[in-house]
Amino acid sequence: MKKLLPIFILFQLLLTTHLQAQEKRVVVGRDIGSMKNLNISGRIIDEITGDALVGATVTVRELNKTEVTSTNGTFSFVLDRAEYILEFRYIGYETVTYPIVAVGDGRINLTMIQEDFTLDDVVIFGRDPEKNIRSTEMGAISISMNTLKELPPFLGEVDIIRSVATLPGVSQVGEASSGLNVRGGGADQNLITFAGAPVYNPSHLFGLFTAFNPDVVNDFTLYKAQIPTKFGGRGSSILDITPKSGSLTKWGGDMMVGTVSGKASINGPIVKDVVSAQLSFRGSYINWLLNSLNNPELRTSQANFNDINGILYGEINENHNLTYSFYRSYDDFALASDTTISWTNQSQSLRYLGQFGEKLSVDLIGFHTLYDFSIFNQSGINNFDLNSGIIDTGGRLSLTYQLGENNRINFGGDTKRLTIQPGELIPSENGESGVLPQKVQNEYAMESGFFFQHEFELGEKLGFSYGVRYDTYTYYGPRTVRQYAENLPLNASNVIGERTYSDGEAIQTYDGWGPRASIRYSIDKNTSIKAGYNKMYQFIHLISNTATIAPTDVWKLSDQFLRPQIVDQYSLGIYKNFKGNIFESSVEVYYKDIQNVVEYKDGARLLLQNHLETEIIPGEGQAYGVEVYVKKNLGRATGWASYTYSRALRRVITPFEEEIINDGNWFPANFDKPHDLTLIGNYKISSFTSLSATFSYSTGRPVTFPEAKFDFAGNSLAFFRNRNLQRIPDFHRLDLSLNFKFQGDGKFYDGDWTFAVMNAYGRKNPFSIFFADQPGSPPQAFRLAILGVPLPTLSYSLKF
Amino acid sequence: MEMLKRLLYILLIIPLSCVDPYTLELERGEQLLTVDGFITTEPGPHRIRLTRTDTYGSVFEGLIRPVRLATVNVRDSEGMVTFLTEVEAGVYETPAGFKAKVGLSYTLQLRLIEGREYTSFPEKVNQVAPIDQVSIRTVEIATDDRLEQRVGVQLIAHFKDPGDQANNYYWRTAPGSFVLVANPELYTNPPTHPSDPRGPAPKDCCAICYLVESSRSQNFTIASDESFNGLETRLPVAFIEDNGLRFKDTYRAEIQQMGISQEAFRFLRLIEQQLSITGSVFDQPPANIRGNIISLDNPDETVLGYFIAADVATSELYIESDDLDIKATPRIIPDDCRTVPGATLSPPSNWLRN
Repeated sequence: MKKLLPIFILFQLLLTTHLQAQEKRVVVGRDIGSMKNLNISGRIIDEITGDALVGATVTVRELNKTEVTSTNGTFSFVLDRAEYILEFRYIGYETVTYPIVAVGDGRINLTMIQEDFTLDDVVIFGRDPEKNIRSTEMGAISISMNTLKELPPFLGEVDIIRSVATLPGVSQVGEASSGLNVRGGGADQNLITFAGAPVYNPSHLFGLFTAFNPDVVNDFTLYKAQIPTKFGGRGSSILDITPKSGSLTKWGGDMMVGTVSGKASINGPIVKDVVSAQLSFRGSYINWLLNSLNNPELRTSQANFNDINGILYGEINENHNLTYSFYRSYDDFALASDTTISWTNQSQSLRYLGQFGEKLSVDLIGFHTLYDFSIFNQSGINNFDLNSGIIDTGGRLSLTYQLGENNRINFGGDTKRLTIQPGELIPSENGESGVLPQKVQNEYAMESGFFFQHEFELGEKLGFSYGVRYDTYTYYGPRTVRQYAENLPLNASNVIGERTYSDGEAIQTYDGWGPRASIRYSIDKNTSIKAGYNKMYQFIHLISNTATIAPTDVWKLSDQFLRPQIVDQYSLGIYKNFKGNIFESSVEVYYKDIQNVVEYKDGARLLLQNHLETEIIPGEGQAYGVEVYVKKNLGRATGWASYTYSRALRRVITPFEEEIINDGNWFPANFDKPHDLTLIGNYKISSFTSLSATFSYSTGRPVTFPEAKFDFAGNSLAFFRNRNLQRIPDFHRLDLSLNFKFQGDGKFYDGDWTFAVMNAYGRKNPFSIFFADQPGSPPQAFRLAILGVPLPTLSYSLKF
Repeated sequence: MEMLKRLLYILLIIPLSCVDPYTLELERGEQLLTVDGFITTEPGPHRIRLTRTDTYGSVFEGLIRPVRLATVNVRDSEGMVTFLTEVEAGVYETPAGFKAKVGLSYTLQLRLIEGREYTSFPEKVNQVAPIDQVSIRTVEIATDDRLEQRVGVQLIAHFKDPGDQANNYYWRTAPGSFVLVANPELYTNPPTHPSDPRGPAPKDCCAICYLVESSRSQNFTIASDESFNGLETRLPVAFIEDNGLRFKDTYRAEIQQMGISQEAFRFLRLIEQQLSITGSVFDQPPANIRGNIISLDNPDETVLGYFIAADVATSELYIESDDLDIKATPRIIPDDCRTVPGATLSPPSNWLRN
């Protein structure tokens, strides 16, 4: 009986709205005879969870006026006394049409229901269907988990990072890499925040899975062009992930048992209507899978991963609320049984959202993030532990003041203290160990920003947004710093002395103004042109000489040798919606100039390196591209197509010949893939069945081919001269999935079935082409394909 | 309304990733001069090999292109010049009695027949710590075939690193030799035998021979003392696989521990890095391996390879069959052991055990 409840509710809902539309208008306000300037306000909450819906839109159809709900789900209009039809829309929710008669100042409290519970057409609107046209925002994309659930899954699960990579201008190095490359930026140029706290390595199993449990994510937003001034510190993009909070009204939970991992979560009110909790756990049991592989190294390996999420949400009243979020992900991987690599991300944040009066809203957040990485060597000879880590502690205060309709300012400041422990080697046998304890000096820095942004409209046609962010950064002692002879390369033989800085003494300071501005001109209601400029500073660098994010990568703060990365981005776009916002399209072009990107020297040694400046060389970067995007939001068939032509180039020129890379010419970055096409489609065959498909194509990434073969000490070796001048073959892959919803009245097959095939036509997309002299064959090229065969998965989800 | 969601994934598991040879047309590059050679403090003779590079993966890859008729000499920092003589195509040897001296620097000088001249940067010979002891450890390595394990012996060098200087080490093994055990009593007639094909025909001789190994590929191990400066340490420096024959009786291994320069260490580290590439996601990208040879006529000419001058400490070790904890399945030679190519009845000259 219980499982029929949603259907009853649904019917009731459909019935009531129908009736309302036909006959009944809701009378809003107390009639005291006013004819003009009636304040109609309201609040939208989720029917099931009771959560406020932030960013939903309310449109007054007659006036063609739209408001977006604020941080606690509220909206308000000033209307004349009349009859109106209000339309409420929210991503992943059924649109509600709500006819009213406004007779005085009054409130509307509305509940909206997730379309999960409806069996009709899919709607993949953004939060606001016309936002792309109307706002001055460029290159910001929000996606809810409900949209993602319609896409073909990756290894049986929805994956956030991989889904982001289907968006225009975003790419990944290969099939097993967790790093994102946004508009020609390196993987370290993206700030990934979970509930406002930064996360450094959000991957499980070396990037095979994203370390965010999709069940606890509400939605995420990627900013890749016009980044709001309240965000800073990274050069390319901000990926802001918002978790779900628990229900304020009733307890619930879910469980999943999979072949490689399982998860469970529970949520509900601790104090009804005031405090809710959500707790989720996901853990792996992947060892049997590894043991079944043929690769001898993987077969003798062991892996474990898990992640935990906890959210406490407290509603002081409808204008003030507090959210505490705890997130921890853990991984260990014992490679061929004698070396264990483990990493942990832990981030906590406390956020207060408040509305003071009609005009001022406050967003205050404090966070604490830890990232730990360890290697344990138990080979039996010279055992050791190697530990490294990052600690970030900081906060941000952001105030928004509504100066008028479509005219608001946002200002505030943020600060954080960064501590990096680059590496410490501890011999794990007492006394008799043949290795020395080693510790690379800790790094300390303080990074702060002050921001201001003003958004306003001049009539219907013009919209402006301008602002500035002032970043200041100080690198602190205690630290002993090498001094090098002037006009000579930075290497051990040119050291002329050392200087020791005391605790808290400033070693190096950088600061800079980061102006950001954009303008929107609307040609008509459905078409607009936008242009923008953005400047970002980045004071933390990922020192990596692998093609993808690896847990062995070293994070390094800017110091007197390594200057901050500075990114200037110019973008221009045209946006057009067709057929009443059913189709949304855009063409964006951008040009980016990047200073002080890090390139490594040949054979750089990064681990346990006290003098990283001797292993790396600063370079410059340049990126440009065109992104074409068409999305169908509504109907039986929905989906999007995105095509990007882009280049990401690097150049290293130094006064010292031995440090120049590729003769000082521009060369492609590791992730330079000029053509990139993604097609995503979802077709509702019937109310119970849908088919979805993802096709992606991209140019092969650059690699270095040998110029010659030479022999040394009995080994055949390859001679490589210039980097990244050749490419691996092009990448293309088709993923398919078929979803059935069964209504079986309690029979065992009742629930959702998803049958999916990744890499449907089994292309062996090379991740890499490498050259080796392996026993039994002449020295030759080899191809590594991560996903070399079609991979079918079947998932069954039962609801009761 | 309470909702409990249960999901069950049925994943059809298929080995996901795979590595296979890939055909690639590489541009035919220049043929670059390559220098490959060591001189050490041992009596020698020491060999310098001069070759030219070939296109990687070309059908001629097996061919070595020797550089013949060059004038090759080694000059030490005291001005003494020693000429090398070509003993086979492209291989030049130091005269008898020549050995490098600790504390001196050596420069390799080349003059090709067409007149072009090359030189190495000076390489200083630094004294190397003696090997105190070599111990062994049996190790097993998993292979692609899950029923089969590779078994072998790891050689572990024990030595004391001098604490007052930065040291760089290079280890290699001299060709090993072992007692080759055969079973002539199990000899059977060849299938073509006129009267008794495959019939037993025990031979009287010989069950015991000695075999000196010859191997083209040289494995090596390198280390710098950053992590063990001044310590008594032990490091696994070589691996000898049990092929079913080597450890049936006694195996003689010889380890050479060399002290090399910082630059030579960097060069060898790049080589080691290249040899360890498996194509995986975390491989380091290919590096340009720069050597220490330059052209005197054209500074832009690329010359590959390295001329190394090093002090050597040697240690030999006799491994008995019983020293191994696990052994590979023994291989039976049902014949006179002298039928194995290279096998001799008398032990090699450096065999000091009966």
